[in-house]
Amino acid sequence: MAQVSTASAAPASHRLRRARSRVPLWHVLWLVLAAIFFLLPIYSVVRFSLEGILPGQGIFHWYQTVFDDPNFRSSFWLSVQISLETVAVSLVLMVPTVFWIHLRLPRLRPVMDLITILPFVVPPIVLIVGLAPYIEKFSWLAVRPEVLAFIYVVFALPFLYRALDGGLRAIDLKTLVEAAESLGSSIPGTLFRVILPNLRAAIIGGSLLTVAICMGEYTVASLLGFFTFPNYTYEIGTSTAYEGVALTFISFILVWAMMLALYLLGRGGRAAAGVAIRE
Amino acid sequence: MSTVELRGLRRTFGSVVALDRLDLDVHSGEFVSLLGPSGCGKTTALRIIAGFDWPDSGEVVVDGHDVLGLPANKRNMGMVFQAYSLFPNMTAQQNVEFGLRIRKQNHEARARRARELLDLVGLASAMSRYPRQMSGGQQQRVALARSLAIEPKVLLLDEPLSALDAKVRVQLREEVRRIQLELGITTLYVTHDQEEALSISDRVAVMSAGRLEQLGTPAQIYNGPRTSFVANFVGTMNKLEGVVISSEDRVVRCGPLTVTVPDPSFRHSVGETVELYVRPEDVRLELLSNGASPRAGSFEGRVTSLTFLGPVTRVGLQTDLGPLLSDVSSAVALNLAADTPVSVGLETDALRSLVSSTTTPDSSSSDSSPTALLS
Repeated sequence: MAQVSTASAAPASHRLRRARSRVPLWHVLWLVLAAIFFLLPIYSVVRFSLEGILPGQGIFHWYQTVFDDPNFRSSFWLSVQISLETVAVSLVLMVPTVFWIHLRLPRLRPVMDLITILPFVVPPIVLIVGLAPYIEKFSWLAVRPEVLAFIYVVFALPFLYRALDGGLRAIDLKTLVEAAESLGSSIPGTLFRVILPNLRAAIIGGSLLTVAICMGEYTVASLLGFFTFPNYTYEIGTSTAYEGVALTFISFILVWAMMLALYLLGRGGRAAAGVAIRE
Repeated sequence: MSTVELRGLRRTFGSVVALDRLDLDVHSGEFVSLLGPSGCGKTTALRIIAGFDWPDSGEVVVDGHDVLGLPANKRNMGMVFQAYSLFPNMTAQQNVEFGLRIRKQNHEARARRARELLDLVGLASAMSRYPRQMSGGQQQRVALARSLAIEPKVLLLDEPLSALDAKVRVQLREEVRRIQLELGITTLYVTHDQEEALSISDRVAVMSAGRLEQLGTPAQIYNGPRTSFVANFVGTMNKLEGVVISSEDRVVRCGPLTVTVPDPSFRHSVGETVELYVRPEDVRLELLSNGASPRAGSFEGRVTSLTFLGPVTRVGLQTDLGPLLSDVSSAVALNLAADTPVSVGLETDALRSLVSSTTTPDSSSSDSSPTALLS
């Protein structure tokens, strides 16, 4: 009797395992469709960037041309520099503000939600028109590329605020702060020792979005006459098609590299608020 | 070891009075539980002592000094919270060392102290675990070790076990008491669980509506409740109505029964209607054979319900005095069934006449069964 039940149980468990591991056909189909949707344009870009090459030129000729262009390096580094400045200013402004609102002024959260939506509804051109009198008044500042960082802080506000807001909602902020206080820590000390390490993923996520905005912002930089990476991309795109497409692919790679950096940095900071396992 | 005195603490939130002139003295090395239903002000009192909240008026005196002017991080009070409060980015050891790092102790001294305390709470083997790798009970043990690491003047525990399952709760409350006795630290423990408070405290302060209803040892609270609130909140009480027939001899007639109230503070005039209280374990039952009459001093009742509670069974009765509850040995209860006629007697020594409270316990926040109040 026991043998019979064992013998019949084994194939049954195999069948169960097979059934579990079998992926339905429509799942695969959906995956393939999504892959085509995303990969086809990239394939086309790569394909096009390898065409139009004259005899004697290397297969990566257009890429070589981009890298050899001093404007590529200067505009790219200018954008990176502005991005990092924007991230620094945004974090210094926003982290303590959002922390304090969550901790002591939660009633202001809806107000903050509203304020941080404004950059979505106010177009950059309107912002520049609004800033024009100040730019005229402080012309010495307007000629420095750092001015872009202060303007981009406004553009990055909704993204950074939401990332930080989500990060702070994910931890029991009040209890953690009170626990640290009871152990003798001051509020600034608690912010640096306890809260920031637990907001690492949110800070990295918000910072990356900020970098992405800065690296792609064209209107304001163009109006203020700074030759940033998007301006360079536009210029190349309108003059040399092959080179412009090669530059587009380089931009893709740079964004992917940044996403990978986010993943690697965020992986170490995934110490989310204590999820208990049962004893 | 420190003493804590709360003097006339009053705290309001808008129109809600959370604390209403609360006075409480906690002696050095004593374990006092603040027991009461949700919203009675016990956590507010604890948070004011810790420095996370401030009273409208009153004083918090620790070792003879009013500490209300000090911020929370200067009061040197260890606190364990109801919510899991370990720092998620730190291991158990780093959590325990946190307060010592703030005090700039060197690495060796910190590590040694963390090892000692994690050993004390039985988690020496979990020093390098992160909070997410620990169960709720383990996290609260580490939180206890962390709060003890700074050698606090007073240990404050705000319902630290309420998020844990029943078995772990019992085990951990015994550990909390063992550690408190071992270190002799003055401890204030907030709970709404009467069993928890009665089992581990030197004294229990029962609170209701921001006021202290009664302060006493667990035995005093259980056996000698001074108000109807305490009687009903701590354990289960039967309430009987009677008429005073002799003021001097404290004799009361309750339906078919004439009883003498043992309480010497009983002051009621003849003809006055009074409420008497008796615990279910002081209500005796005897099976009545068909047609038999109850013996003298007893009265007849019929079983309406049986609730198995382990060693005892709670028997619901319908009697001439109204519905009553009686706790009998579960072995005896095997002979009972619904509608069984029984003879019911009261331990008259256990009868109490209590001062009415302005509040009644919220049955949802007490451990009492819905049938605890028989009014």
